[in-house]
Amino acid sequence: MSEILVDKKTYPHGDFAIWIIVYVELLTFGLLFVGYAYSRRVNLQMFNDSQLLLNQTIGFINTLILITSSYLIVRGVETIKTMQLHHRHEASMHASKWLLGAMMLGSTFLVLKLSEFSHLFAQGITLSTNTFFMFYLLLTMFHFMHVTLGVVILYNLYRKTKSHGYTPADCRGLETGAIYWHLVDLLWIVLFPLIYIMR
Amino acid sequence: MKLHVEDIFAVLVVLSFSAFLVGYLDLFSSFFAIFLVISTFLKGQLISDYFMDLKEVDYRYRLIPTIWLVVVLSLIGVAYMLPISE
Repeated sequence: MSEILVDKKTYPHGDFAIWIIVYVELLTFGLLFVGYAYSRRVNLQMFNDSQLLLNQTIGFINTLILITSSYLIVRGVETIKTMQLHHRHEASMHASKWLLGAMMLGSTFLVLKLSEFSHLFAQGITLSTNTFFMFYLLLTMFHFMHVTLGVVILYNLYRKTKSHGYTPADCRGLETGAIYWHLVDLLWIVLFPLIYIMR
Repeated sequence: MKLHVEDIFAVLVVLSFSAFLVGYLDLFSSFFAIFLVISTFLKGQLISDYFMDLKEVDYRYRLIPTIWLVVVLSLIGVAYMLPISE
């Protein structure tokens, strides 16, 4: 079992710029989440009826997918940061497998989300159908774009890790990519109960 | 203090499954609204603390996602709990 040792440091992991992005994204999505919650109060019945058209099971599976992929990335980063240099080849290959798993899960999320979108579009639902679907499509498509970028980032991290490009002393790029993926996970953690469950 | 990342993962899965059950079994009420808000806060805090590793760094960095979670989830909670005048 891997362990997380709590030892206070001054700065967070990853590049400073990623934390600016994280905080800006949190603010943007936060405004949309609150906007959704208060718009719902204006037309409660329409929001509740529209919500019934969503597939909660796919939403839950996507939640599991993102949580699991985040966990795999934590393990991948940990493998790099705790490796001994004379075992660099083995550790890098091991870490690349964790990252590959995370990337595959991220891709599965995208496929499931696309199937959900196509199902709704087949029913004639668009951004202008009603306020609920305007928020639903805006939030989930915006998040979908973030996951797509995340999968591209994970692919690059996977390739560099596989070619032994990271060491415990030089893994800032890996940490930065990991932070981005955890942001995508964090946003979905709020989005899932708000859009799919709460009524 | 030592914590296992597997424990964090397990808690996240259990809390997500319980949220799913609330929706799947159509149990939603004021009580479950509070439950969902609190469990979402816990999940967000666990991701920020242990996956993003903010528990290890200066509290000012950790505070930003915590404040975000508290403000956003409180406003959502209020929106769902306040009575709606017809």
